[in-house]
Amino acid sequence: MNIIELSGPLHEIIFFILEVGIILGSLGVVLLTNIVYSAFFLGLVFFCISILYFALNADFVAAAQILIYVGAVNVLIVFAVMLINKPQSKKLFSSWTIGDTITFLVCLSIFFLLVTIILNTSWSSITLITESKKFLNFDFTQNVQRIGYLLLTQFLLPFELLSIVLLVALIGAIVIARRENLMKITEKVQIKKSPKSF
Amino acid sequence: MLEHVLNLGAYLFCIGIFGLITSRNMVRALMCLELVFNAVNINLITFSNSFDTQQSKGEIFAIFIIAIAAAEAAIGLAIVLAIYRNKNSTRIDQFNLLKW
Repeated sequence: MNIIELSGPLHEIIFFILEVGIILGSLGVVLLTNIVYSAFFLGLVFFCISILYFALNADFVAAAQILIYVGAVNVLIVFAVMLINKPQSKKLFSSWTIGDTITFLVCLSIFFLLVTIILNTSWSSITLITESKKFLNFDFTQNVQRIGYLLLTQFLLPFELLSIVLLVALIGAIVIARRENLMKITEKVQIKKSPKSF
Repeated sequence: MLEHVLNLGAYLFCIGIFGLITSRNMVRALMCLELVFNAVNINLITFSNSFDTQQSKGEIFAIFIIAIAAAEAAIGLAIVLAIYRNKNSTRIDQFNLLKW
């Protein structure tokens, strides 16, 4: 933990607050009936995850998380909610069906399986193995410098392909979501022009 | 410490999958899909912090996942808008046009 060298109890308090924020926020996204509340709880989850990235010494990814997820994806979701929203029921939590209960049991079992795997792995032996290797010639202390260097030397091809993917996604989203009145206006112009030619 | 954050990532993943399967609204399903992406990102960055401090490959992969998830959210919401314009309803379980 290079960035934040706080004292022990303060670190614990911050982590506890972040954990509570993430746990309650994700429960609010899934369980609340009002979808506007869900969208705002999703923004809270993204923000808490970003602060978690700061505490995990990944400051560039934390800034990218706030810019892209909170600033673009969450705003996009709120726009879509406002365009689509049909107020349905006045209750806070919707009632569960049989399928919901079965899914809850399956997801609970998957969660317990993952936690068992995590707690039974000996992480200390893996740490001893990986710390003995040193690959990089340049010893960047700044996180952003390291990421910039790697993105332009070792990961150049995925970086360029990512820009093409973003361009295609932009054009595709505009083509799918635009209105279809453009076709009808051109058809009316053609119908008006054809009687004049007689 | 490492196990604590990994448990948090596993919890987010399972809640995301649960919300994705049981949601009847299309936009809520996309929101739960974003939760799943974030759980995977937490996992990657935790491992990059603990085992790969020299090269931080996990963080670069997390950046790629953030960008791809943003592109997928944009296209997914455009499709949701197009469907809503045609059918005037947002319930996923009532769309059966592509059924055989």
